[in-house]
Amino acid sequence: MFWLQLRGELWKLFGKKRTYIGFGMFLLAQTIVALVFRFSNASREMVRTLEGNSYVANYYVSSLTIATIMLFPIAYMLLPLYVSLVGGDLVAKEAEDGTLRMILSRPITRFRLLFVKWLAGVLFSLLLVAVLGFTGVASAALWFPWGGMFVFIPGEVFSVFGPADGLFHFTIAHGMLWAKAVTVMGLAFMFSCFNVKPAAATVLALSFVFLNFILMNIPFFKEIQHWFFTYHLNLWQGMLVEPIPWWKVGSSLIVLTAFNITFFLIGSTAFQVRDIKS
Amino acid sequence: MIELKQLSKKFGDRWALRSLDLTVSHGEIFGLLGHNGAGKSTAIGMMLGQVWPTAGEAIICGHDVAENRPRALHKVGAIFETPVFYDYLSGWRNLEILSQYTAPTAPARMREVLEWVGLTGREMAKVKTYSHGMRTRLALAQALLPNPELLILDEPSDGLDPEGIHEMRETILRLRHELGLTILLSSHLLNEVEQLCTRIAVLNQGVKVFDGTLEQIRQSRLGWVRLNVGDFTAAVADLCAQQLVTDARDGSHVVLAPGVRTDALVRRLVEQGMPLFEIVHEEQTLEGFYLDLMKKKEEPVVPVQG
Repeated sequence: MFWLQLRGELWKLFGKKRTYIGFGMFLLAQTIVALVFRFSNASREMVRTLEGNSYVANYYVSSLTIATIMLFPIAYMLLPLYVSLVGGDLVAKEAEDGTLRMILSRPITRFRLLFVKWLAGVLFSLLLVAVLGFTGVASAALWFPWGGMFVFIPGEVFSVFGPADGLFHFTIAHGMLWAKAVTVMGLAFMFSCFNVKPAAATVLALSFVFLNFILMNIPFFKEIQHWFFTYHLNLWQGMLVEPIPWWKVGSSLIVLTAFNITFFLIGSTAFQVRDIKS
Repeated sequence: MIELKQLSKKFGDRWALRSLDLTVSHGEIFGLLGHNGAGKSTAIGMMLGQVWPTAGEAIICGHDVAENRPRALHKVGAIFETPVFYDYLSGWRNLEILSQYTAPTAPARMREVLEWVGLTGREMAKVKTYSHGMRTRLALAQALLPNPELLILDEPSDGLDPEGIHEMRETILRLRHELGLTILLSSHLLNEVEQLCTRIAVLNQGVKVFDGTLEQIRQSRLGWVRLNVGDFTAAVADLCAQQLVTDARDGSHVVLAPGVRTDALVRRLVEQGMPLFEIVHEEQTLEGFYLDLMKKKEEPVVPVQG
């Protein structure tokens, strides 16, 4: 029964055109980034940095490197937007449309209904991140050769990998990006359980994420960065360095798990006490 | 099938429903009447566990909805005033999704129900292509899928054209005759309720002001006679003096004294040379009864128990 209900939620989710906006926009953003790097001087700075450190630049100006470069803006801006769009819709849209009333005339508990919906959101996040990784490499591979992977964040990361190692790091970074996607989706889902419009749930979730991000980057809060929600959302970046800081990543995963449980419990409590009316 | 005990709901400072006691027995078609905002949908919401009662309890199929909603609603189907579906999916897919919240449903059962509601052949079309009437039929199909014993219909004819209303009425009668369902029908179409229901309750501003059978309503004006004479006041004075009538109202109606028949009135009026144009026994209609109840909005009303 549970799996049938989950299948039903997935049918609903993937039957809607707006579910696919994220996939389409990712592909568009990746194509644009790849073309910019291919047909402009955007890679010149990267080449200079590599050569300055005695690396063969051409080997590292590869599809993997470009896919990683395009990953940053997408992971920071677009991914939270599209997962919160879907998370914010999961309950609030059904309440707004009136289908929630139809469902709740059935003998299903509110908690179970929410859990099935949340799980559908988790699977959507997984698919979105998987497609993000695949299309990133694929769209970069159209214009750049296969080769090593170079990751450079001034003052934070300088990593150079061979192709196999690079692909491994790129893949597990997406695994951790899934944790980020699930958490932001869960945050929007929590707001969606309240008596609000779907757009309000999405905007609230994004506001929470961006406010955390802004505060975290204020020098005054630098010392207590790890208290911010967004600090732990960036655990995927830890997968792009060698050696991987497993202790830090592990602690972020625990914090995000706690956030997810908290979001779900707050959401389900709010939903439990709500009156569902037409 | 339905037992509501002192069921009350307060939204903020406003009582939407106050101390509603109601019993619907197996096999009945029970009408819930009231103006917009009278508390009908709130009462139905509490029966389905969608609205939490402020006080009292709703017992459906022997189970308290607030304590054991899944058991209480296991054999219940419901339709709401505006049937809403996942428009971007087919009718068939909608039925699959909705039925799985109750129990896995075999395709054969789905085909059987679609045949019953007359949607065979259109089930694979997207719901956004359906007319209002087809959506109502799909709503009925989803309500019938779990083999319910109790059907709760919240203004099912809302938005339907006259043909659709007629069709819905016929369908409700079929539901009782062919499937033996108990039906709770919330409506403000008095004509519909009068033709379908055996018993009704009337809500006025969240308070039950009547609970009884339609027969009781018809009987409530037994003895009332519409009298069209040249001088009504003089005629009533004479008839009262002769102890033929006991009461008069609206300048047109009199109440016959016990044991008196209309022929006695006719004889007396003719003897007195009063011109008599019409004399008709009046039977109370639901509409008249309902409007009388609503006129008493400001007055405290003594509930009638059926």
